[in-house]
Amino acid sequence: MTDLPLVLFITSIFGAILAGFVCSTMGVFVVRMNLSSIGFCMSHAAFAGAAFGLMISIDPLISAVLFSFGTALVLGPLSEKARLESNVVIGFLFSIMIALAFIFINFIPGQAASGAALRILWGSIFSVGYTDLMLLALLSFILVLFVILFYKELMAVMFHRKLAESVGINTKLFYFTVLFLTGFAVSLSLRLVGGLLVFALIINPTSTAYQFFYDFKKIIIFSPIVGVISCLAGFWLSLVTDFPIGASIVIVSAVVFAIAIVVSPKRKKGNGGRKNLIQKSSVELVR
Amino acid sequence: MKKTTNAIELQNIQTIYEGEKTPAIYDINFTLESGEFIAIIGPNGAGKTTLLETINGILPYTNGIGFVFRKEIPKNKTAIRKETGYIIQNLDIDPQTPFLCKDIVMSGRCGKIGLFRFATAEDWEKVWHSMGLVGMIDFADRPVGKLSGGELQKILFARALAQEPKLLLLDEPFSNLDVSARNQMEILLNRIHEKYQMIIIMVSHDLSFIPSRCTRVIVLDKGKIIMDGKKTKILTSEGLKIIFNKNDVRP
Repeated sequence: MTDLPLVLFITSIFGAILAGFVCSTMGVFVVRMNLSSIGFCMSHAAFAGAAFGLMISIDPLISAVLFSFGTALVLGPLSEKARLESNVVIGFLFSIMIALAFIFINFIPGQAASGAALRILWGSIFSVGYTDLMLLALLSFILVLFVILFYKELMAVMFHRKLAESVGINTKLFYFTVLFLTGFAVSLSLRLVGGLLVFALIINPTSTAYQFFYDFKKIIIFSPIVGVISCLAGFWLSLVTDFPIGASIVIVSAVVFAIAIVVSPKRKKGNGGRKNLIQKSSVELVR
Repeated sequence: MKKTTNAIELQNIQTIYEGEKTPAIYDINFTLESGEFIAIIGPNGAGKTTLLETINGILPYTNGIGFVFRKEIPKNKTAIRKETGYIIQNLDIDPQTPFLCKDIVMSGRCGKIGLFRFATAEDWEKVWHSMGLVGMIDFADRPVGKLSGGELQKILFARALAQEPKLLLLDEPFSNLDVSARNQMEILLNRIHEKYQMIIIMVSHDLSFIPSRCTRVIVLDKGKIIMDGKKTKILTSEGLKIIFNKNDVRP
């Protein structure tokens, strides 16, 4: 088991909790909006950003955050303007980001620096700093406020965009805000989980919650709980086994999802009620 | 241009979809008084849905001028939509959709409640009342994806009623319903109109189900109004038979 200094240990634990919270909260909306591949696109935007940062000799994380943030901002208006499915635009942006990343890597001086860009894709628990924690805490607060204040609008938009529009809701504003906050969540979780795996932290906890509930409110509450638990369990697994933190978190959340599929009440045939009724009436008959 | 005194007034309205050259509707002129119940009929592709969505401002018109509740549509579309209930055609819902019926009905009140405000006990009272009106109160906690076509239609109707609309736009409200559900829906529409005296604009391509309280019929063909008058007169006219036979639809 890896021995960590107490401060680093506490910082890492809080980092895991907050990253789990923000990613799996945004996952609820991303999955519902059928934009599952958004995390994949943004993580590669972050990769291109990191390569760009190294190329011009600035902190790769800052440029990574800026690139994935920029992608989130462009995605909504672009898919509206091009009248294309968001997933098609995500595919388009993804390929551009990969192409840019290759170009930037080509111009990075020295092989060690290319490794630093790649680390954005893998993530590391040791790279989570105090500033990251503060930003993640701020984003968590914004998300809680966003969901509480605009719950009724979000629910209407998530059910059916045109119907929501027909009662006077500015659906475009909410759609773009969700994309923007997702970009924020992905950018800030990059250091911990890594660009390649942050995608799973958005999808897995929400998909787990979907196995248990038909009530959107319960999914919004349950998904971050699963996300935080997966991150903590993944953190522990990483300490015990020396696995990379991102990989450990993803494996735990995937196992939780697999268990959820098996035990999901949605897949059980609902004859329990009838069985109980038959038992009840037999008892009454015997009496 | 002089402002109208009618509840709804459309003057020379034309709507063209983005990227299209031919207008989906054109030369649309009609007025509606408060409390009128009209049916817009016409074969598939006549422009009926386009007309409805032009009235509530979802589709911007490209020519002419339109007023709803004496407000010009493009400048006041949000305000107009808050007073307008809309039931869209053939809403396709995944059985796993994670929403309960009561929440869907409540979502109809979103515009009325407004931003930064929470639903109050009074709002929930409106939700229960409208669910009761359509006979779906027992379905409040059911997932919306598990409903049959008729049940879903009623929930969407309750959603529109919870909004307490002054104008109700119904796009093919009887499609996907069996005969018994259609009859129930027809009774419901008549009852709602009698009780609340709201304007109802119902779009249909099926002439056999036009509620008895609907007194006026507008016939749309190829994007243009070709008949407008009393229901009894229009439905028995020779012109209507020609239009529908031409489009292979039996009246």
